[in-house]
Amino acid sequence: MNVRNLWFKRFVPLFAMGILVVGLFATAGAETINVGSLNDMTGATSDVGKDYALGIAEAIHYVTDNGGVNGKEIKLYQFDYGYRVPEALTKYNLFKRLKCVAVLGWGTGDTEALSPTITKDKMPYVSASYSGHLANPQKTPYNLFFATDYSTNARAAITAWFDKKWPAHKDYGKRKPRFACSYMFASPYCSAPIKAIKDQATILGFEIGPDQDVSLFAIDTKSQILALKEFKPDLVWHGNTTMSVAATVRDAYSLGLGAGHIVNNWGYDENLPRLAGEAAEGVMGAAVCAFFGEDVPLMDKVVEYAKKYNPGIPPEKRLIRTVQAWGDVLILWEALKRADKAGDLGGESILKNGFETFENFDIHLGAPPVTYTSTDHRVAGQVPIYEWKDGAFRLVERVDLKGRWPDKWANEWLGW
Amino acid sequence: MRKKSLILKGFSVVVISTLLLACATAPPTPSEQNFQAPVVTLNWVEVAHYWGWWYFSKKIEPTKGTAGNYGAPLDLAFIFDVNNPNPYPVLMQNLRFTVAFEEFDLNTVGSAEMQWIPAGKTNQLRVHAMFDGRQSLLSLLVTGGFKLQEKGMGAGAGGAFKQLAVWWEGIPSVDFPIHVKEGSAVFNADDLMVVTSFSGTFPSE
Repeated sequence: MNVRNLWFKRFVPLFAMGILVVGLFATAGAETINVGSLNDMTGATSDVGKDYALGIAEAIHYVTDNGGVNGKEIKLYQFDYGYRVPEALTKYNLFKRLKCVAVLGWGTGDTEALSPTITKDKMPYVSASYSGHLANPQKTPYNLFFATDYSTNARAAITAWFDKKWPAHKDYGKRKPRFACSYMFASPYCSAPIKAIKDQATILGFEIGPDQDVSLFAIDTKSQILALKEFKPDLVWHGNTTMSVAATVRDAYSLGLGAGHIVNNWGYDENLPRLAGEAAEGVMGAAVCAFFGEDVPLMDKVVEYAKKYNPGIPPEKRLIRTVQAWGDVLILWEALKRADKAGDLGGESILKNGFETFENFDIHLGAPPVTYTSTDHRVAGQVPIYEWKDGAFRLVERVDLKGRWPDKWANEWLGW
Repeated sequence: MRKKSLILKGFSVVVISTLLLACATAPPTPSEQNFQAPVVTLNWVEVAHYWGWWYFSKKIEPTKGTAGNYGAPLDLAFIFDVNNPNPYPVLMQNLRFTVAFEEFDLNTVGSAEMQWIPAGKTNQLRVHAMFDGRQSLLSLLVTGGFKLQEKGMGAGAGGAFKQLAVWWEGIPSVDFPIHVKEGSAVFNADDLMVVTSFSGTFPSE
């Protein structure tokens, strides 16, 4: 065999095979799954939206570092839409062109506007809008979230106050407790659980007073507090976001309203005591998961990734919104893994082979284990209710709505 | 035949020598010990596009198009120097930062386009940030109410509009400090990763 023959017969085929193998491995290593993320980092909800957006990106890094979707990497396309609904629709079209298999959405604005489209497109849309009516898969099968919905949270919050605070009241056993609601009437987010909380107030035997219309922009709510004083409520439910809730709680404190306060999720975070000061003492709320840095499983990773990827933001400035973002990413990750294992990463498969196979799937982070069925997308019947007390958020009660009212839970409360 | 063999031998010697020379002069490879975090510095800010200050509520009938709540947009460009102190190239994966006018956070923007920075060199990166008058108004109203009141701008929409007018009308001469804060940039060298934090103010204090 001469040198030339040796070269062509042995080395060239080996070289070609090597190239082929390297090429194949390179292709396999590059396999990605595209996911879109719509966030508000500039608009009306940017105070919480930015923290949530950072949490989404950090959680995706965690997913990548832990094997991705059965070895496939998630490529995140994250955009700020400034809470402008037309821009949300535009970005959604971009996600479709990018062949995203799912979208991590944000608030009521984009979620409501896109709901019919994503249902038609069979696009899983995991968002931070927890409206109860999005939990009915007969109407909105592709809208999902890891948290208990606003209506469930509101029922749980009023129940926790009734269980833990009302028995200690001087008028307990002498009269009905009095209850009123304070929220921006025109806001779909604020008004979403009104019907449910009043229903729960009726079940528990409250006397219900007149609602107070408080703008999301309010920093002076004295006229509403004076109106409430005529009714003398024992408990006020706040449906707004943090700044106006803080203003209302402050005014209630300074004007001596003498009522307890329960707050919906997006008005109840680490900024509430910063803004409301001593008036925040005793304020209760539905947090849907643990607060940033709280001692619960997996929180160490949330904090680690926050410090690692956003070292310029002090941990004390981070909020529960980061943890909520992780919750949504973790359920999407699990659904994608299950759908991928079933061999189909289409929207319907992600829903049927993914989400709707969850049965008490534990995402940790202080959130209740997640269950979805084909007829019910409420994730859990248990809600942790917290209280701000002595400088910390403390767990008051995990209210088990499903256990206490099983018939109503199963037959009456879904979807509103 | 012998001639061909000699040519192949000669060719092999040249190839091996080249490889050995390349190995001898190869720059250090990235390692945990030698990977230094690149440095990101705000160089300057410019008003990229400007429409003045105006605001129309949805009650105003437009000449064409759809009525709505519209505030003047403002397009600022932030130019950063990104220095790679390492003796090997690094890949910048992305960069993100928050923009504050005075003490009010108004925007969080970034660049997700990857770029290589040669060993020991400095790249420049331009990041545009669009400020929408309407969204900035809502952001101020929902989150900045207490601060506006403390600043003496007044409460509610009146105070927020007054503040926006000061910024939008003052931006051509940059009459107020523009802060870049909470910045982070992700860099890779081979399988290593490092995150650089940065901040800055324009005009510089």
